[in-house]
Amino acid sequence: MTPETRAAVAEAPAASAARARAMRRRRSAATWLRGAAPFATLLLLWYGLTARGTLPAIFLPPPGDVARVVWELLRDGSLLGHMGASLGRVLVGLAVSVPMGIAFGVGMGLSRGLARAVEPVASFLNSLSGIAWLPLAITWFGIGWVSVTFILWNTIFFLVLFNTLVGVRAVPRIFEHSLLTLGGTRRHIIFQVLIPGALPSIVTGIRMSMGFGWRAILAAEMISSTNGLGFLIYNAANFHQTDTILVGILLIGIIWLTTDRLILVPIERWTVERWGLVWKPS
Amino acid sequence: MATNSGSPGRVRRGLRIPWGMLAAIAAAVALWAAASRLIPQADLYLPSPAAVWDAFVDLLRKGVLPDYVAASIRRVILATVIGLAIGVPLGVFIGINAKVADFFYPLLNFFQSLSGIAILPLVIVWFGFTERTILVAINYTVLFPVVFNVLVGVRSVPRIYVNALRTMGASRLRIIRDVLLPGALPHVATGARLGMAYGWRALIAAEMLVGANGLGFMIFNAQSFFLTNRIILGMLAIGTLWILIDRFLLRPLEADTIQRWGLVQR
Repeated sequence: MTPETRAAVAEAPAASAARARAMRRRRSAATWLRGAAPFATLLLLWYGLTARGTLPAIFLPPPGDVARVVWELLRDGSLLGHMGASLGRVLVGLAVSVPMGIAFGVGMGLSRGLARAVEPVASFLNSLSGIAWLPLAITWFGIGWVSVTFILWNTIFFLVLFNTLVGVRAVPRIFEHSLLTLGGTRRHIIFQVLIPGALPSIVTGIRMSMGFGWRAILAAEMISSTNGLGFLIYNAANFHQTDTILVGILLIGIIWLTTDRLILVPIERWTVERWGLVWKPS
Repeated sequence: MATNSGSPGRVRRGLRIPWGMLAAIAAAVALWAAASRLIPQADLYLPSPAAVWDAFVDLLRKGVLPDYVAASIRRVILATVIGLAIGVPLGVFIGINAKVADFFYPLLNFFQSLSGIAILPLVIVWFGFTERTILVAINYTVLFPVVFNVLVGVRSVPRIYVNALRTMGASRLRIIRDVLLPGALPHVATGARLGMAYGWRALIAAEMLVGANGLGFMIFNAQSFFLTNRIILGMLAIGTLWILIDRFLLRPLEADTIQRWGLVQR
């Protein structure tokens, strides 16, 4: 084997890997394009409908106006401020409600008596949507972040609780028994059997509650807040600033889609793969 | 129905009364009454069950409560009927062709995740603070989950069934009726359930912001007059109505379609 051929042989895998990488890149570019094409079409349609004043700007402002408003709101920092307020509220709501929901769900899963006592009331409160609490929340806490957090708590807590409960109940008893046989304590059972076993269901609950929570917070901000994206668009409606409303709407949709696709769905998939049912009841 | 859920070996004793549930609810009401007795200014912060009952009798006698309940129910039913009537054919139509479906999928996904409450300000600018605004916002909220799920359902029907019918010379209409629609039915049920769940919440919010009647308006209006017993009455009505819709309409629909048609894929 001459040095050249040896080099060629050594190179071959590298070259094919590079080619595969390029192909993959081209393919991902293609899927990206295919995903963007519908939105580009919609943008063109929007432009066509509004550019010549076919539709009055107060009804549907042209894309250019909306882009200008984005730029203005970005420059005076208010867009990031509203965005930060909404996202911050959701994070606070999650941080307060999710651990509580998991704790109560596991507790109810462990104790049949507790579950029997709490379940009817909790399932009523679960079907009472978060936003229906708003008038009472305003009476109790006034207008402000406590009210909004309370609404979010009501939306997230009960959904996480019931999903945890369903998850805990679905964990096969045999795992619990085997841990007990091996001398495991109650704490071992909770942290090594019940919570990991219920994790796929818990994560689904968190994802669902985020969907409802993101909707509830917009309504809450419209009524009882002076900042946040909900306030931004509702306030703009009072002044008939349709362009600002569209900026807010687009941002709300984009934020939710990116959170869901890039954070929640991967986590859900990962938990189901990692912790999902390893044992199927026959 | 409670009597049907027992295992076959069990003796049926007519309609089973859920004593445990009733006891739990009674305990919760007792706890509420005690709490209301303990806190200062209970009429404002937590009116007693008796005060809420008084509000119930009062609003029932004046006819306000039945009117508002009817208004909310009418809106949500109207939105669901329209949403299904437009959404199912549209979803099937888009779903027939793979290229068309690929094109509309991201758009529908975007709009179904954009809640009706987010577009409410836009609709207010369009139609003002009117009934039409509420209906448009709720219709939007119900429609997109339905179209989206029907589309997904139609696409997830295995091609082999479509091809089998086509080989035997079936018309396109026949394929839609005998393959695509039944195959997509579980997804239709899921879409309807999700759409109604979002729609009901959006309705309450829309009635608060826009309405002149309905349960959302009732609790929001009561807040500005500090009639907390009416707020709690309204909340009880909202929760109870949703439980009734869920138990007697959505769950049976979902269970029936999934049991009857759900195994088409396997």
